Amino acid sequence: MTLSHYLALSGVLFTIGLFGVLTRRNIIGILMSIELMLNAANINFAAFNHFLYPDRHLGQLAVIFVITLAAAEVVVGLALVMAIYKNLKSVYVEDYNILKG
Amino acid sequence: MTEYIVFYMLATVIAFSALGVVLLPGVMHSALCLGLCLAGVAGIFASLGSDFVFAAQILVYVGGIAVLILFVVLLAGSASDLVTRQINGQWLPSLLICGAFSWSFLQITAYFRPLNCVASLHPGITATAVPAPTVKAIAALMLGDYAVPFELISLVLLASMTGAVLFGRRKAQ
Repeated sequence: MTLSHYLALSGVLFTIGLFGVLTRRNIIGILMSIELMLNAANINFAAFNHFLYPDRHLGQLAVIFVITLAAAEVVVGLALVMAIYKNLKSVYVEDYNILKG
Repeated sequence: MTEYIVFYMLATVIAFSALGVVLLPGVMHSALCLGLCLAGVAGIFASLGSDFVFAAQILVYVGGIAVLILFVVLLAGSASDLVTRQINGQWLPSLLICGAFSWSFLQITAYFRPLNCVASLHPGITATAVPAPTVKAIAALMLGDYAVPFELISLVLLASMTGAVLFGRRKAQ
């Protein structure tokens, strides 16, 4: 196995997630696509740690921090989604225009 | 040879379940595909020798975030979601943007190993050390040099928990 294999896999995963963020209409689908992009970044952290600096573990530490922040992000995001859904009765992002003043 | 088989199996599972997350019309199916994709990424972590990250990925992502998203899908979905269009009209520009991104990722991959080279001349970067348990080393880092970010993370978790309770409660009558 080489580093390039893992970099290619992470690139594919990030690109799929980016396409989902740009094209999904459902807000929950967009949140799931963001999780895919974060996972692609995590694969890169772990792969660089494993192949370039095998005696230090800073990449894995960064992965732990990213996982924790992703958990915090998705908890607040889903709570906001539920709060908006209670008011608007819709999960589609083009209906979310109540901030226009 | 075995690690190639394991890698390509995991990569296939990850790629197709990620495509399922993005392209399937039902959000429920997308959430189930997301759980499969996160489990595949956990397998990639295991194949990279990061055992603690593997356990954290299973616990937090597969056991926590995927289940949480499933709950929200069950609460916020409606039966008409399955027949309405789930992709907005901008799929062609999005495809172009994704093409540009994948081209740049191809450049980064080729930086570490040129794609059209002879494999015996330029074998690419392979692992130099055998995988060893990393839990103790990560614990020493977390409670040593990186203690301040570690404590800041707990503050962020507390703030996000407070925010989730605040946004999720009913309005006071």
